[in-house]
Amino acid sequence: MIEVDEKQMPWFPDMTVASVFETLDNVEFCSVVRLNGKLVSSPKFAETIIPDNSKIQLLPLVSGG
Amino acid sequence: MNQINLKEIKSISYERAKIKNGYTDKSLRVNLDANDIIINPIEENIKNKFIGGKGYDLWLMWNAVKGSTRWNDPENAICISSGPLGGTPGYPGGGKSIVTSISPLTGAPIDSNVGGYFGPYKKFSGFDVIQVDGKAKKDTIIFIDGIENKIKIFEATDLPIDAYELSDVLTRHFDENKPVNVSVVTTGPGAANTFFGCLNFSWWDAGRKRVRYKQAGRGGIGTVFADKKVKAIVARCGTISMKSNNPADFEGLKLVTKSHSKEIKELDPKQNRMSLVGTTHLVPIMNDHDCLPVHNFKFGSHPQSRIIGEEVYEHIFDKGYDGCWKGCTVACSHGVKDFSPFTGPYRGQKVFVDGPEYETIAGCGSSLGIFDAHTILEINFYCDAYGLDTISVGTSIAFVMECFENNQITMDHTGGMDLSFGNRFNALEIIHQMARGEGFGAIVGKGIRQMKQIFAKDFGADAAFMQDIGMESKGLEFSEYMTKESLAQQGGYGLALKGPQHDEAWLIFLDMVHNFMPTFEDKAEALHWFPMFRTWFGLCGLCKLPWNDIVPEDNKDTLEPAKVTKHLGWYADFFSAVTGRKSGPDDLLAMSEGVYNFQRIFNLKMGYGTRKHDTLPYRAVGPVTVEEYESRQERYDEQLKEKYSLDISNMNSRDKVAALRQKRLEQYELLKDAVYERRGWNNNGIPTLATVKRLGIDFPEVLEVLKKNGVA
Repeated sequence: MIEVDEKQMPWFPDMTVASVFETLDNVEFCSVVRLNGKLVSSPKFAETIIPDNSKIQLLPLVSGG
Repeated sequence: MNQINLKEIKSISYERAKIKNGYTDKSLRVNLDANDIIINPIEENIKNKFIGGKGYDLWLMWNAVKGSTRWNDPENAICISSGPLGGTPGYPGGGKSIVTSISPLTGAPIDSNVGGYFGPYKKFSGFDVIQVDGKAKKDTIIFIDGIENKIKIFEATDLPIDAYELSDVLTRHFDENKPVNVSVVTTGPGAANTFFGCLNFSWWDAGRKRVRYKQAGRGGIGTVFADKKVKAIVARCGTISMKSNNPADFEGLKLVTKSHSKEIKELDPKQNRMSLVGTTHLVPIMNDHDCLPVHNFKFGSHPQSRIIGEEVYEHIFDKGYDGCWKGCTVACSHGVKDFSPFTGPYRGQKVFVDGPEYETIAGCGSSLGIFDAHTILEINFYCDAYGLDTISVGTSIAFVMECFENNQITMDHTGGMDLSFGNRFNALEIIHQMARGEGFGAIVGKGIRQMKQIFAKDFGADAAFMQDIGMESKGLEFSEYMTKESLAQQGGYGLALKGPQHDEAWLIFLDMVHNFMPTFEDKAEALHWFPMFRTWFGLCGLCKLPWNDIVPEDNKDTLEPAKVTKHLGWYADFFSAVTGRKSGPDDLLAMSEGVYNFQRIFNLKMGYGTRKHDTLPYRAVGPVTVEEYESRQERYDEQLKEKYSLDISNMNSRDKVAALRQKRLEQYELLKDAVYERRGWNNNGIPTLATVKRLGIDFPEVLEVLKKNGVA
């Protein structure tokens, strides 16, 4: 299992951030996540593998500056 | 403690105005030519039109200066205001000051938004806004004592030279027993010897028992301060509570303050973690999105950027509460204790560094090719101590380094310094030279616009190349975001009233990453709405970070997530509760629009503020060199083929650079057309008569300026 914004989700091998996003609604504003405490940005979503038991926080980055 | 000598040359007692609904309705003017101290009422119609903060500053300045006034003329004024909501303890970001002056860099009004306690202390001492004009003959300190109800002017000698020590000494001098009662505005020696001097605004950090600093960095207001021979402005004020603003609806104020503060405390740890890392989280994020300036904005990312971002600074920052305002739960003003510089007058000593923030890391780190967290700390420390704006320092040295690497300047010009990217020792040496006003650093301290002229005239450098790579617009150096792939953010910088600072509109993610504004009309709407709402924070004495850097968990499900509408409602409630003027979110926008247009017309009064001044160096728009083009060739080739329908099969890289340049510059001009129309301006970028009448800023002197510029 993994945890996405404190909600449990089943884990599967070779799971990526991009594949998790395919299962979520309203993530258009999310271009950065924190995966087990480390920042991962959208250009790397497809290549970033999620280990089992990971914790992911979606960062609503509308801000900056 | 240093022994300082203060000779009192003027002192008045005053009756402190009772604050009502966030306002004292008084302004304080200190004229240094005659040592006059003048307290004036603020009229109701001015309050209604200009609201406070930057609005009050601009109104006083408009009346202080002529169109021909230059930054170093006596009549140029430095104005500092907080705003009606400023000074609300516990409201996140509720203690800002807004400072304005005619800028040495741009020749037009500049505004800078800064933390620390000065703005609220000044207000609770009886003044919504202060104006300092004239020029002192000797080093001067202005003291506003809101406890004894006295204002004093001192001639000062034997003061510490730099801001780091000066603020500390003055804080202890003016209230040794209760230093938390004191906030000091100072600058340092670099301000007198460059055109981009900053101001340090202090507060007493009770936990660490030391003075801390935030900077009003942009546009060289510190340079004006030094030119007037003002060494410091000190405010002293007693205990502050949520009742100090005498709000119209105290229970309403308590409710909205508690709601916003609680939400930030709960959500910041799940989002940007600013209470732990400040804005350093932006370094890896900007890098991964190709938006981090590297080597003078040539590139947008670098493999070593991670070692100058949050992962490093989180461990270096001193643990403890770091709010630059009382009770702020964003608390992002982090610092490093026991830092030991390896150069300069503090070499080998242990100092406390206030910072760095993202802008300093990007400007004085990645843009210079310096990927070393400790060197960035040292640059940060010396810029603050010397009174230098880290953004202009970083962007200016980056320009110099690119000129050096392209043989536009050589070691014959730099005093023997190798200024290749990454040369951290020589970057620091330039900063020390700036502070002393010596050597090549004295030239760099004039800013990019003047350097371009000097390098071309005296060193034979290529003027056209420097125009393309010199990251300044309107005379102000760029803050630290890459805009090549975001047309909207090019507008955010190029159309900003004071020059390329991101506090008007930061649209990179909305435009480039999310593609939420595909048409010119979409971009124009964003370049209307965001500058207007961001202006409102400066009118009221607030920080914008709590608005959209920590957002409600259900924000993504709202109709307009980019506006963070729940927080808009809270800000309207906040304004209503303090001032008693029942307001909704649209009313906040209307407040800003009048002041925003007034500032545009103020630019016009000073000889700027038209279409030709809203230009950008091409580096901000697209790839200047073949090297840049080829570093992102796949992206640019696709754009030429798909977006612009060009056959590139027979083009070499140089041809492609030229073709892309033509197309992108056309796009930028079309963007200007769309934005001007949305803002109610004519095709030359001037507010129309109908616009100024609609906004109620059709004062006779405003109409006169418009008439002189063909708008009648």
